[in-house]
Amino acid sequence: MSPARRWSFADRIFRALVRLFPFDFRADHGRDLEQTLRAQHRDARRQGSLRAIVTLWLDIARDVVTTALREHVAILKQDVGYALRALRRAPVFAASAVLTLAIGMSAMTGMIAVLNAVMFRPLPVDRPEQIISISNRTGEGFRVSFLDLQDYRARTKVLADAVGYAPRIAALTADGRSERIMALMVTDNYFAMLGVRPAAGRLIQPNEGRAAGDAPVLVLDYQYWRTRFAGDPSVVGRTVRIGAQPFTVIGVTEPVFRGTESLMRMSAYVPAWMNEAFSDTPASSAPSIFVDRAVRPFTVLARLKPGVSLAQARADLDVAAAALARAYPLTHKDLALRVVPETHTRPTPVLGSFLRTASTALAGLAVVVLMITSANVANLLMARAASRGREVALRAALGARRGRIMRQFLTEGVTLALLGGLVALPVVVVAMRGLQEIFTGVSAIIDISPDFSIDGGVVAIAFLMSIGAGVVAGLAPALLAGRSDPGGSLKTGGRGAAGGSGSLTRSGLVVAQVALSLTLLVSGGLFVRSLHHARAVDLGFNPDGLFVASVSPGIHGYDTAQRLAFYERIATSVAALPGIDHVGWTSLLPMSVITQNASVVPDVRPADPDWQPPSAFRFDVSPMYFTAVGVPILEGRTFSERDDANGTPVVIVNETLARLFWPNQSPLGRHLTAYGTAREVVGVVGNGKYLNVGESPQPAIFNPLAQTAPSLATVIVRTSRSPVELASTIRQTITRVDPGVTLFDVRSMTTHLDNGSGFFPIRLGAFMTTLFGGLGMLLASIGLYGMIAYHVSQRTQEIGLRMALGARAADIIRGVLAQGGRFAIVGIAIGLVLAAVIARLLKGLLLGVSPFDPLTYGAVAGLLVAICLLASFVPARRATSVDPLIALRAE
Amino acid sequence: MAPRTRVDAFLPLTTPMLHTLVALADGDKHGYAVLKEIARRTDGAVRLSAGTLYALIRRAEADGLIVETDERPDISLDDERRRYYRLTPLGRKVAAAEIDRLQAIVEMAREKKLVPRPRSV
Repeated sequence: MSPARRWSFADRIFRALVRLFPFDFRADHGRDLEQTLRAQHRDARRQGSLRAIVTLWLDIARDVVTTALREHVAILKQDVGYALRALRRAPVFAASAVLTLAIGMSAMTGMIAVLNAVMFRPLPVDRPEQIISISNRTGEGFRVSFLDLQDYRARTKVLADAVGYAPRIAALTADGRSERIMALMVTDNYFAMLGVRPAAGRLIQPNEGRAAGDAPVLVLDYQYWRTRFAGDPSVVGRTVRIGAQPFTVIGVTEPVFRGTESLMRMSAYVPAWMNEAFSDTPASSAPSIFVDRAVRPFTVLARLKPGVSLAQARADLDVAAAALARAYPLTHKDLALRVVPETHTRPTPVLGSFLRTASTALAGLAVVVLMITSANVANLLMARAASRGREVALRAALGARRGRIMRQFLTEGVTLALLGGLVALPVVVVAMRGLQEIFTGVSAIIDISPDFSIDGGVVAIAFLMSIGAGVVAGLAPALLAGRSDPGGSLKTGGRGAAGGSGSLTRSGLVVAQVALSLTLLVSGGLFVRSLHHARAVDLGFNPDGLFVASVSPGIHGYDTAQRLAFYERIATSVAALPGIDHVGWTSLLPMSVITQNASVVPDVRPADPDWQPPSAFRFDVSPMYFTAVGVPILEGRTFSERDDANGTPVVIVNETLARLFWPNQSPLGRHLTAYGTAREVVGVVGNGKYLNVGESPQPAIFNPLAQTAPSLATVIVRTSRSPVELASTIRQTITRVDPGVTLFDVRSMTTHLDNGSGFFPIRLGAFMTTLFGGLGMLLASIGLYGMIAYHVSQRTQEIGLRMALGARAADIIRGVLAQGGRFAIVGIAIGLVLAAVIARLLKGLLLGVSPFDPLTYGAVAGLLVAICLLASFVPARRATSVDPLIALRAE
Repeated sequence: MAPRTRVDAFLPLTTPMLHTLVALADGDKHGYAVLKEIARRTDGAVRLSAGTLYALIRRAEADGLIVETDERPDISLDDERRRYYRLTPLGRKVAAAEIDRLQAIVEMAREKKLVPRPRSV
């Protein structure tokens, strides 16, 4: 074509269409194809009919797209076949590359599964994208009162509907067998709004169970129905008991639905109006949840009307909240709402953002692991490309074009990565099951059962990550192959392909691996140090030699007097065992996953009109509790026999609360109001940690167990005996008191702390980061070893010559070590900067250790230097042990 | 890939491939000429698209059925420098063998009176 020719619009399109074809096709026939398309177009226009032109265009578009795709697939098939044959010829290389990538892919896929459960997987309900969470940003906790929920439904125009629910622990009795379950108390419209279908029978319907006389009904969860009732459809219509109250089973939920509590698996659903069955307080106070705006039991989900945006919903709900704040200044002052997509509130609206940050940070570390594995395999491929220089050169000489050879290398990388992903998948399935177990072991108070299953979405993303990792691994060797000079390679027997730039790239890859694994190890080190700090933190009590076990007589239908008698009998019989020093009871152990809180008001309310009653941790304890756990009584006394249901309501406060309410005065004899009851302060105890080890001193109140009679309580035993032998003795003793009451979380206090909110997050973080760090370090050292070994093997001849000329082995070794040391130093320098950046992100998850802790950075850097030197030493030793004559003859 | 030399290994040919080989039987042509020739001779019943044609040419070249030729007809007749293709002896044999194969089928159909015999015979 003449240069003067002007490019028409059609010409440009033809040129673009031809670009869709594979490189080789374009090179051979691209120009002809373009010319033909132009000629066809010219002829069609000459005919003058619009129809001819339109037909031609449609024809061309369809033809080019299908033909180009077919050509690409043909090449892909050929390349994958070639790659697989090449890998089969080098099984050791193939296995090591695939396994290396499998490690990275396992870490990555596992984290994707976690992220999926925590923030991506939509609820298995009708149009889940419309579901939002509404929670309180201010006041005690995030939950919402029943009347507020009704106001949000009625007063806003943005919501199609809103539901409330609250998980409850219950004892379900059927066929004469009783067991603890998690039941969800739901508002009547729960299933209707979510669009859940029954697998058997029917679900709770709007307006069901609202009237006082309505028969109690219950819906079973599909999984629970399968395991507990063997999927027997005749269960529908039968009567089971929750606590002491009979319920009729009306149906079973569909299999995909697992409730709206992301981390818990529910066993049954009960209309909220039947909540007395779960209540541990006298029945008269139970209906208050429907009339008292200050009682906030419900987690709220709502469905947006079609076409309503989250911002619109927020604006409208803010108006509704402001109206409530004006109408109820006493309870709703400063009311503010958190309106976010449901996926942002797992496991709860408050913990949601923390968990999202933590999982994203861990996923970031998994990406780093995957990058290290890719770099490692890139290095392996480069080494192979170098040794395959002659093959590449031969193919080039036989007419294979550069682009084609590069594509072949990329295909090889991607093939390896996909194989790695394939190996990783079953590993991840098993690992995720293990992780699920770890979570389940946290506490039996609530059934934590996150769904880390590998679904289609996870596999799809893992597949894409595999391809990405493969491209990263194949890119460097592909570029190298693209640059290599075929003639030179044929002449030098293949080593030419590893020319200067190639070895520079490989060095770069090793440096990157050292830097990235330093980043991982520093993160791991910081978590390990945090854990160390956490264990050394003064908890306010002495966990050593403590043994705990929990019971929940309340859910078995025990009334308050029966509960107290039950607790008393256990305390007496356990205290009688040999080797037991003290026995105490508490409604809840510190650092449990859940807390009880109370807003507390002192006898003299502060004059400040803006004053808000603070929220204090609440524990109901027996007189011996403080002695048993080792909390010092600073002032006054502990509870006594007289502090029972008939005595004056009393309370013991901790130091923080005493200072807050009565600074510079003795709190003894003063009063505070909690849960509507004025209580006289009889003692002050030392501060402690109640929810997590990082918390600042928090106010806490202790009520006498005999005045509250909680439905669930934990016995604490101080003993000099070993926890293992004690476990079975205590189990037997408690079972003798009442074999019908189930015992749970029977363990030492140290185990409780490890699994509870105290150390669990840090332990998990330390475990994951050190695992990733360890893997990264292993891979980096393999990579470095391979690199140095390769360099040394390339220099065998030179080393032989130098030795023959009288060089000492020590000098040679020193030279090789210096080379490894250089990699280490450059990698560590880059890694330190990178680690500092990542550590800043982790700051919120660390405890008692600066994100720039010099000890951690120094130790990790030292470790990596040692590993780099070791990885260099082995090949260096081997090089010097070679007989110079053999080395010289090697060529 | 080494070209397949055993003629039978190429059979049966696809209709577009057979038409392409036949179109080249009476002389060298460039791609667009092949397209036009096929459309003209079949009264538009067989229309190859450009992408399909070059994919065919590529395969036929790789199999050794056609080759690109350096000889050009009068340069003044050819404003753009196009590639011309020529049927190889192997390609000629393969095309002939395919036509024989089709002929045999036609004969069989005639014997079974599926189609009438031409009147002139």
